[in-house]
Amino acid sequence: MQTSVDARGKSCPLPIVLIAKAMRDAASGTRLTVQADDRAFPEDVKAWCRKTGHELLSFDNKPGFYQAVIKKP
Amino acid sequence: MSASAQLLSPSLENRLAALESEVRALALASLEQSSRLEATSELVRGSGQQERLSLIVFSGSLDRLIAAFVLATGAAAMGMQVSMFFTFWGTAALRRESVHVKKTLLERMFAWMLPKGVKKLPLSQMNMAGAGPMMIRYIMKKNGVASVEEMIELSKELGVELNICTMSMDLLGLKPDELIDYPERSFCGVAKFLETAAPGKITMFL
Repeated sequence: MQTSVDARGKSCPLPIVLIAKAMRDAASGTRLTVQADDRAFPEDVKAWCRKTGHELLSFDNKPGFYQAVIKKP
Repeated sequence: MSASAQLLSPSLENRLAALESEVRALALASLEQSSRLEATSELVRGSGQQERLSLIVFSGSLDRLIAAFVLATGAAAMGMQVSMFFTFWGTAALRRESVHVKKTLLERMFAWMLPKGVKKLPLSQMNMAGAGPMMIRYIMKKNGVASVEEMIELSKELGVELNICTMSMDLLGLKPDELIDYPERSFCGVAKFLETAAPGKITMFL
């Protein structure tokens, strides 16, 4: 079962598409760690979570990329 | 005389009776009100707009096709229902590369003049005799943006519907066999588009 998505080096719409695909097959309660360096990612990941009813557990600025942890309801 | 009647004076009894009937009337009115409310909320729920993105892809230029598929895959990733209606120049973008189909002379002329699929699409500006699309693809690759071909694959996986205008196909001499294979594909006319798009929240013409 997938628990992480590395979308570094990928641009919109790939990061959220990869998240959607990973979450589609995930079990309820799964925590997905997503790494991306797309500048749209901070806003996009928050919008995705709000729209699809997933919980954004954390969002961190790491050196050179963003890291978000999303939980499936 | 009944036992209860002995406890109340006639005027009090009348007042009680009047109150009782008033309460009954109020209860009836509130029941009516709540059922009307129920009916209204049902109506509101039913006519609520669908989470659907409908795109008319009229243009056959690479830049517009990229935009169309970014929108489509993005919306699908957000859990929306997506339908893309390919019409006019957009239908040429769905051609497969090397397919030989029987055509009349006029149809063959069109087939020769129209781009043969996504890989051959021009840009709407800065086409520079074909150098434009090459540059755009190179920059996209460098920036990690998915190519149109990749996005079409993603669309397949995410259940994006592709509807193709048969009138455009007839005008441009395109046959179903020369268009890409796609699971959620249908051939249709304007009625299908209107029926699909009408309840949706977002409808766009590209």
